[in-house]
Amino acid sequence: MEDFTASTSQPREPLPGQNPRLPAGQNLGIAALITAIVTFVLSVIPCVGIIAIVPGIIAIVLASIGLSQASKNDSPRGVLVAGLIIGAVATIIAFSQIFVAGKIGDKFEKEWGGEIENVIRDVQKNVFDELEDANVSIKVENGDEKVEIKVGEGKADRQKELEELEEANSGINDTLKKKE
Amino acid sequence: MTPLKRKSNYFAGVRSGLRNEPYLLINLIFAGVILLVFAYSGFFSPVKDNYPVVCIHEKLTGEPCISCGLSHSFSLILRGNISGAYEWNAYGPRVFIFFAGQLLMRIVFSVFYLKYPGSGKHLIVYDIIISAMFFLVAFLPFMERIFTQLIDVGLKS
Repeated sequence: MEDFTASTSQPREPLPGQNPRLPAGQNLGIAALITAIVTFVLSVIPCVGIIAIVPGIIAIVLASIGLSQASKNDSPRGVLVAGLIIGAVATIIAFSQIFVAGKIGDKFEKEWGGEIENVIRDVQKNVFDELEDANVSIKVENGDEKVEIKVGEGKADRQKELEELEEANSGINDTLKKKE
Repeated sequence: MTPLKRKSNYFAGVRSGLRNEPYLLINLIFAGVILLVFAYSGFFSPVKDNYPVVCIHEKLTGEPCISCGLSHSFSLILRGNISGAYEWNAYGPRVFIFFAGQLLMRIVFSVFYLKYPGSGKHLIVYDIIISAMFFLVAFLPFMERIFTQLIDVGLKS
């Protein structure tokens, strides 16, 4: 295991005027490790597991960049490798959840989808059958004028009534007045 | 030296200490993340049911998942209603204890790290082992469910 705590044995206080800097890629390593651990925790919670893909990929990218910087400068890579491995595992778990959810969704649609459609079709048919023999009464009131349409029998009667009304109104154009 | 200058020097010292010690920085950030989780649970109310995060699993499959009701459970624990928390999600209190324990661990381990600088490496190894075990105990039911589903899907396809 890489000793990234080596600084504990070294003096902690930087010299006056000296800017304390971590080895190359170490900042990225810390960011990658934190992102990776948060991703890992998220990825095992089914509710939000799928979201974990995004921070997982970010962790992998950060760790990869950090590793390339560290390899150029020959810096310690412990944190970076840990971030990369945890990030990769977390992303795989998150991806697996998409797969599982997709399969469950397919199964649900195949096994239950057809039955739901059949139930809806049956309900629709029942409603239409009920309406076929229903007594329908439409009342329209406009001030003192009242119009009432009553249909006591089947569909044929209602169609006939509507056709009669259409014929009666076919010659009347009450929206436009002719010029005299 | 004026008090203001002393204060700014103190913060500069803390900043440089954090820069030198990745472990402390990581602990500080994790503590912040856990506090954010608690703030989220405390801010959104289980009575108003105004949680912004919805279950993606339920949206996709139409079936509630094993972790549904976790936010409600956390909120109820923070409000002292433990039995209600169990009703919303049976694993809620267990996961909450994990987060609370982690917050405590971040503080305790950071203090030990600062107090006993020579034990840094051992302390980190203990931290990793304890946290990993704690995580497994808290999230085992979720992981079990995920892997069972994966195996089921694998066997059927």
